[in-house]
Amino acid sequence: MPNGKFDLDSNLVRKLAKLLTETGLSEIEYAEGDKRIRCATATTVATHTVPVHAAPAAAPAADAKAAPVIEGTPVTAPMVGTVYLSPEPGKPPFVKKGDKVKEGDTLLIIEAMKVMNPIKAPASGTVVEVLAGDSKPVEFGETLLVIS
Amino acid sequence: MFEKVLIANRGEIALRIHRACREMGIHTVAVHSTADADAMHVRLADESVCIGPPASKDSYLNIPAILTAAAITGADAIHPGIGFMSENARFAEMVEEHGFVFIGPTPEHIRMMGDKVTAKDTVKKLGLPTVPGSDGAVATVEEAAEIAGKIGYPVLIKAAAGGGGKGMKVANDAKGLREAYTMARNEARSAFGNDEVYMEKYLLHPRHIEVQLLGDTHGHAVHFGERDCSIQRQHQKVVEEAPSPGLNASERNKIGTLAADIIRKLGYRGVGTIEFLYDQGKFYFIEMNTRLQIEHTITEMITGIDLVREQIRVAAGLPVTYEQSAITFNGHAIECRINAENPETFRPSPGVVQSFHPPGGLGVRVDSALYDGYRVPPNYDSLIAKLIVHGANRNECLLRLRRCLEEFVIDGIETTLPLHRRIIAQPDFINGDYDIRWLERFLSNQ
Repeated sequence: MPNGKFDLDSNLVRKLAKLLTETGLSEIEYAEGDKRIRCATATTVATHTVPVHAAPAAAPAADAKAAPVIEGTPVTAPMVGTVYLSPEPGKPPFVKKGDKVKEGDTLLIIEAMKVMNPIKAPASGTVVEVLAGDSKPVEFGETLLVIS
Repeated sequence: MFEKVLIANRGEIALRIHRACREMGIHTVAVHSTADADAMHVRLADESVCIGPPASKDSYLNIPAILTAAAITGADAIHPGIGFMSENARFAEMVEEHGFVFIGPTPEHIRMMGDKVTAKDTVKKLGLPTVPGSDGAVATVEEAAEIAGKIGYPVLIKAAAGGGGKGMKVANDAKGLREAYTMARNEARSAFGNDEVYMEKYLLHPRHIEVQLLGDTHGHAVHFGERDCSIQRQHQKVVEEAPSPGLNASERNKIGTLAADIIRKLGYRGVGTIEFLYDQGKFYFIEMNTRLQIEHTITEMITGIDLVREQIRVAAGLPVTYEQSAITFNGHAIECRINAENPETFRPSPGVVQSFHPPGGLGVRVDSALYDGYRVPPNYDSLIAKLIVHGANRNECLLRLRRCLEEFVIDGIETTLPLHRRIIAQPDFINGDYDIRWLERFLSNQ
């Protein structure tokens, strides 16, 4: 440290600590001139990194599982393929979030081996969420949209 | 070389293929049913695609789903594994029509060897000895009786579209012929959709000896020696060993060379196995499998060659770079196929594996997709692990095998580990003195 003396401002430290808790940050550093204070929470980040090949212990491809819970009936993919949300490129999508649908309405298309397969609404209701992406691949059983 | 291979199979063999790919720097795509979402190879693969519900016909046999998964992941090649569609010529054709490489032989060769009558005809013309029998399909029971009279009873009536030990009936004498013939045709029709049958002399104490082969697209073909797979129950192999305790070096060399010649003449691409019955010093061709075999592992242990790697290399058009003389056989290897079944009733035992401890140490290999907490699904065949042991000689191998079977733990489900422990304790097995009916005789005497 360039100068020797450094008066500890305990109020500042307390303020920083309160800020940490309120904001949920793990670390705050405050500098003024050549004085610097750093506060960190007691729960420190684990320093050993799990090597990539230990990945089998964790669930893979967590996209579907990490999805937040949405109220309603999920419509899942009955086959693997590529999703098209519109009947043709450039045209508006079959359905959007908030649309009302009747049982049997086409919601989207899944293309498999150049064959377009329309996916129909299993029941009447409102489209709560569209999870499938346009021109994106889907697996069997993947949730495409949710209808309430 | 391929950048991405799609593995169109499941279980321990899918894991085996994944391992070979990863060692070659190839990315893997694991297609799986919902029942296999937690399978080890699915967890390890670079990408995974769920292609259907548990039923095989809707997933592992679902050609559109598999081809679509290959398209959306941008795979270069598809490895069909063992069983499922590995010997489905139509699948091989469609894979190629869609611009992927099928890691296996050409559809023509699959078709040729898939029909057991055509296969026998083909190899006979190329100089392989075959079991005396009918010259092709047998259309009537009268014809069957005439042939049986010529070749002598007992006779075996086999489905032309069968294979893998399925669809066969024995007639011990003229009295039993009509029934055996009719039943064989009916079973063939319901099991394979094709009631064509042919006949062979029923050999009394044969050994099942098969030769591992590899052919490339540059006219080169080699053999990797034989395997003795005589320990069978209901025509399914239970224990295999290499080399065969029933052959000497000159017989080994003779049959290996003969078999390699056949695939060279055929211009066969990929791995394949020619299966023989060996009886009283003579070899008789029974069938050729145009795919990898479950017991390829014991050949790998005695030759030091990775057969899945070789399969992938020749599929990519690379040549087999070594001569026959460079292939050496070291020591002895035995494989025990461990099934999720009751070791006495053979009732399937799917369920959760509470604890899994495979044996280890020098010369020990376990090919299995099991892990603690894994749920063995009820929808597929019951093979859950292969214990493969290598030793400097057959005796060392047997001692090591006994130690490994003692050490092996699979808790939570029933397995055939106890059966294997009993088999290897039998003097006949220890002496290598068994034939293809030995195990069933042993079991019926218990």
